[in-house]
Amino acid sequence: MTFDSRIGPNGREDDITNALRRLYAAPVDEDYWSDLAQRIMTRITNESEGDVWWQPLARLARVGVLAAGVALAIASIALTRNRTADPSLAYETLTDTPRTSLLQIAIEPDVNTEREATLRYVIAP
Amino acid sequence: MLSAQKGDSSAFAALVRLHERRAYAVARAIAATHEDAEDAVQEGFLHAYRALDRFRPEQAFGAWLHRIVANAALDIGRRRKVRDADSLPENVALPMRDPASDDELRRRLVAGLGELSQRQRSVIVLHDVEGFTHGEIGSMLGIPEGTARSDLHHARAALRRLLADLWSER
Repeated sequence: MTFDSRIGPNGREDDITNALRRLYAAPVDEDYWSDLAQRIMTRITNESEGDVWWQPLARLARVGVLAAGVALAIASIALTRNRTADPSLAYETLTDTPRTSLLQIAIEPDVNTEREATLRYVIAP
Repeated sequence: MLSAQKGDSSAFAALVRLHERRAYAVARAIAATHEDAEDAVQEGFLHAYRALDRFRPEQAFGAWLHRIVANAALDIGRRRKVRDADSLPENVALPMRDPASDDELRRRLVAGLGELSQRQRSVIVLHDVEGFTHGEIGSMLGIPEGTARSDLHHARAALRRLLADLWSER
């Protein structure tokens, strides 16, 4: 087995490097590169043409997403306000109702008690 | 470059012709096969075209493109790894360009490269074959410069060890 150890000052290192270069060598044929460039540009052109018909839809989609976002924001705000309002309403209901009842009891005469008193007076010996 | 940014496709075609070989070299250092490298070059240019409006003129187009191509090659490698996970071990995913070659060093080198991690393999090829600096390699592969330096050191040491018997036979 013979390797060219005369390549460069480091002998075997250069052998490895040169073998690596051969292994990873790019194609040398000019036609290959022309063809590759052509394929790349074809893909780009196809994509650009695809963009042309898609653009109005994309614009509509963007508007739709924006509208949905605004609607979601409004709904969130409404929900938050509703949640804030609910406990205060519940608190008011809880505190107001008994207060009103107590007031009514205090102000209104107790019909049953008067009747009872009259009845007691009539039947009293 | 400015014309390409303004949408002139012939200007972008000129950029493709100018940079495709170097882009291929970057992709080939990372990809397992010539075909994957070619796909990565195509993907890379396509991504670059889509992202042209984000390219800043004060940057070097080549360096910017190389990062994009390297990412495309890494993505293809990841997809291949997932696809081949059940069928092929990693160390056989590096076919030689010329299967008929009887070059012993070359054959052993392929086997040796298969023993390296994918990143070490990319680093040694990008540095020793393509001549990129540690900083450029770090930027392309998304790793610190020091890591690229360390990967290169370990890759070289591993190859020396794996191929040592070739020189002892001389």
